Formats: sequence, structure tokens, C-alpha cells
Amino acid sequence: MVRFENVGMRYGPGPEVLRDVTFQLEAGSFTFLTGPSGAGKTTLLKLMLLAEPPSRGLISLFGHDLAVTKRSEFPALRRRAGVVFQDFRLLDHLSAFDNVALPLRLSGKHEADYASDVEELLSWVGLGDRMRARPPTLSGGEQQRVAIARAVVAQPDLLLADEPTGNVDPDIGQRLLRLFAELNRVGTTVLIATHDRALIERTGAREMRLVDGRLVELRTQRT
Amino acid sequence: MSQTNRPSRGRILPREQGAAPLDVVIAVMAFLAALAIGASLVAHRAAQGWQEGLSGSLTVQILPPEKGPPQPALDNQTNLVVQILRNTQGIASATPVSKEDAMKLVKPWLGSDALVADLPLPRLVDAQIIPGARVDLPALTAQLKKAVPDSILDDHSHWLSRLKLLADTVMWASYIILALIAIATASIVAFATRAGLQAHHNIVALLHQMGAHSSFIARAFERHYFVSTLAASAIGAALAGMVFLLASWLEFAGIEPVPFLPPLALHLVELVWLVAVPLGAGLIAWATARLSVLAALRKIY
Repeated sequence: MVRFENVGMRYGPGPEVLRDVTFQLEAGSFTFLTGPSGAGKTTLLKLMLLAEPPSRGLISLFGHDLAVTKRSEFPALRRRAGVVFQDFRLLDHLSAFDNVALPLRLSGKHEADYASDVEELLSWVGLGDRMRARPPTLSGGEQQRVAIARAVVAQPDLLLADEPTGNVDPDIGQRLLRLFAELNRVGTTVLIATHDRALIERTGAREMRLVDGRLVELRTQRT
Repeated sequence: MSQTNRPSRGRILPREQGAAPLDVVIAVMAFLAALAIGASLVAHRAAQGWQEGLSGSLTVQILPPEKGPPQPALDNQTNLVVQILRNTQGIASATPVSKEDAMKLVKPWLGSDALVADLPLPRLVDAQIIPGARVDLPALTAQLKKAVPDSILDDHSHWLSRLKLLADTVMWASYIILALIAIATASIVAFATRAGLQAHHNIVALLHQMGAHSSFIARAFERHYFVSTLAASAIGAALAGMVFLLASWLEFAGIEPVPFLPPLALHLVELVWLVAVPLGAGLIAWATARLSVLAALRKIY
């Protein structure tokens, strides 16, 4: 599903943020990415999102070697990944419903075909009565849930989440984790960048830790 | 949730915050551009009218001798000139200008009192040339001089060349003003579109990140800026159209809005040209939005 080989990344002439990162995410796997702030977690996610090109090394996404993949094929690859950004990146002028439905609109679906799915998902994340609300009127936790619903609504092959439970209370956090687990159960590969030790311990999933731009594998997935 | 309670599908781009002043500027520029188009059409029509009015005619002056000939002699000379003109190939008609009409011609400069009536005014003969026909002017001049030595043939070429120069100057001036206004309007539309894109850069980046095709993102911006520019410039062009309609109404009512200038009213067919202003402005906004979005997306990985 995702393969990194000796990937290095630096911004401009600065020092390398990621060094010789090598790992593989198997299809259907569930992985946590941990590490102190500034270790390079967000940069690693950006590389997986095709938001930045690596400075060196090989990245393969959904079986496509990115070094030889045409740029015109990138949008289709991006649509196969759902993303929860740390800063949510919701569109303030759209309602919660429209924000969640955005990936479906981008893939050319009609509202009549997806409206009930979007409503059901928003109800599932506890925002059934806030569908018309725009992000500026939502709390931080509510915005985060909208961002998560947007990331999962198209049932992506790969789900990347940057601190997805950072702003929600434990009950909602549990509920979101169940949502990720359910998606994973039906085949979505999940990678969650987090500091939440409790979340990691509860799932017993594989953990990769970044320290000073280098990747350390701490634990493989419990069977 | 029932269908009626379902949230409506939102626009990909938000309505512009604080864009009203730019819309006003675009409307004003469109108003000026439409006025310039109208003015160039009026100038073109006036220049054509002036030329058509003077070309195709000749005037012969028969000067009274200084000592003052007897009236019958001057009448005979006038009749002779008329005869020569009527027998000349290419001339359709020749008519002597009556003394009363000659007095009317000088009235604006000299007045109409008794003294003016005693002035030795030259006799005038108007001749109309058959449209498309060529008159041998040197031969006609020689024939007239031989028959009536005090006659002067005027084919208006001096006035025509000066009038043509004036008309051409007016026309080119209006074209240059139109071009300058069009450049300014295009620049403002392009600037407004780019400024809007800058403000929405986060939306472009997010849609790109979520896998939207460049054409999808470009279409959203194209439509947005085409419609808003079209609306603003349509208001400006409509106001200019109303100015020309007002001029038309004044002309119909017999009121001359600006003395000495040709009629400012536009024909109905000419008014259609004003539609080109919002369409042109809309197309500039459309093209600028498309090119700017595609250029911005090319810079993103």
C-alpha cells in the first residue's frame, strides 16, 4: 500500500527533517506514528499525501512509484487517501454537511446519491443536529469531528490522521477510534500520528516512532 | 432528515468579502468603455455624413465686377454658367442660388439690414454630380473662364480634405481613448481576479490536496469571476446605454444636448455594440482566473 525506501526530506537549503526513512504499510494495516514535536511526523504525512516531493529516496503509493508516475495521475491517487489535518482545514463558508460531502463532490457524485450517507456519518460522530452549522460556529472538538467525517466519508483505501483525538473528550475519542477501527476492518489502511499513549495502548496496534527525523519501529501489530 | 431540511449544496468559493468597491470600479470602467464605444460610433457616423454632404457637389461663384455691372448682365452670366454646367458630362443638375438664399447664407455673419442688401454679393450656382460619375474639372474650369471670366469653380476639395482630416482625428482620438479605457478595464479586472485568487489560496491548496483535478478548481474560479465581472460591467454598460437613449429622446424632442456636436443618439443596431463591454470584461476575468489558477496549481507539487 505504502512503501518508503531511504527517503530523505529537507526544506530548501535547511537540514534534513527526515533521514533514511524506510518502512512499509501493508494493505489493511493499522499503525500509529509517534514522536516528539518537531520530529518530522507532519512532514512524513505530507510525503504520503503527495503534498511535497521527497529530497531523495523512493516512495511507492498504491503500487505507483512516485518518481515515474505522471503528475496527471496524482489527483486520482490523492482521492484514494482520506486525511485529517491537524488544523482541520475546513472551508468556513460551507456547512458541516457540505464540508463532509466535499470528497464525494470531487469524485463527481451527485448529492442525491450521497446525502443520506453524509447525514448518517455526521450523526455517527455526534453532529446530527449541527449539519447546517458552519465551522466558525462549531467548537474545536466539533470541527475535528467534521474533519474526520470528511476524511472517511469516501471510504478511502488509506486514512492518514494527524492528532485526530487532540481536541475531543475521552468518550468522543473512544467513538472516533471505533470509527477508525471499523474502517480498518473493512479494508482501509490507517496511519494515525498521535501523542495519545492511552489511545495506542488501547488498540495494541503497530507503532512507528520518529526521533530526530529517523524512524524507529517500536512494536509490531498484536495478532 | 427530510429532503426539505437537507442543507443546500454550497458553492466551492465563498462570496467575496469587501469586493463591492472593486465591483464599483469595474462598473465605472465599463461605463466609460461603453461611452467611448458610443462616441467612436457617433464620430464615425458624423464623419461619413460630413463627407457625403459635401462630396458629389460643385459650386460656381460669379463675382460682380468692382464697378458693378448692370443686374441683367450678371443674370445673363449666371444663366450661361447654368447652361454650361447642364451640358457637362457627369453633372446631374445645376441650380442658381436665389438672392434670398444667398442673403440667408451671409445673414449669420453680416445680418440682414438694408445695407447688406446693397452689397455686391457673388452669384452662386449649385451643381450635383451623378453618383459615381467623373467630371473633367480642368476642362470645365477652362470652359467657364472662357465664357464668364469672373467665374470661380469650387469642387470643395479644400474643405473636404480638411473635414476628412478633422473627422479622422476625431475618430482616431475616440479609438485611442477606447483602447486606453479597454486596457485599464482589462488590467483592473485581471487585478481583481488575481487578488481574489490570492485570498482563496487556501481553498485552492485544500481542493488540490483532496484530489480535485486542476480543471475542476479552475472551473470554480472561472465561473465565479466571470459571473461577478459580467454583472458589474453589465450595470456600467447599461448606464452608458441609458445616456445614449436619453440623448436620443432629447433629439426626438428637438432639444440639442450639446451645441455644434453631431447628434449623440445611437441607432438601435449601434446600441448592441455596448453589449460587447460586459462580454469582453467577463471574458478577460474568465481567462485571467483560468490562467492564474492553472499557474498557481503548477507551482504546487
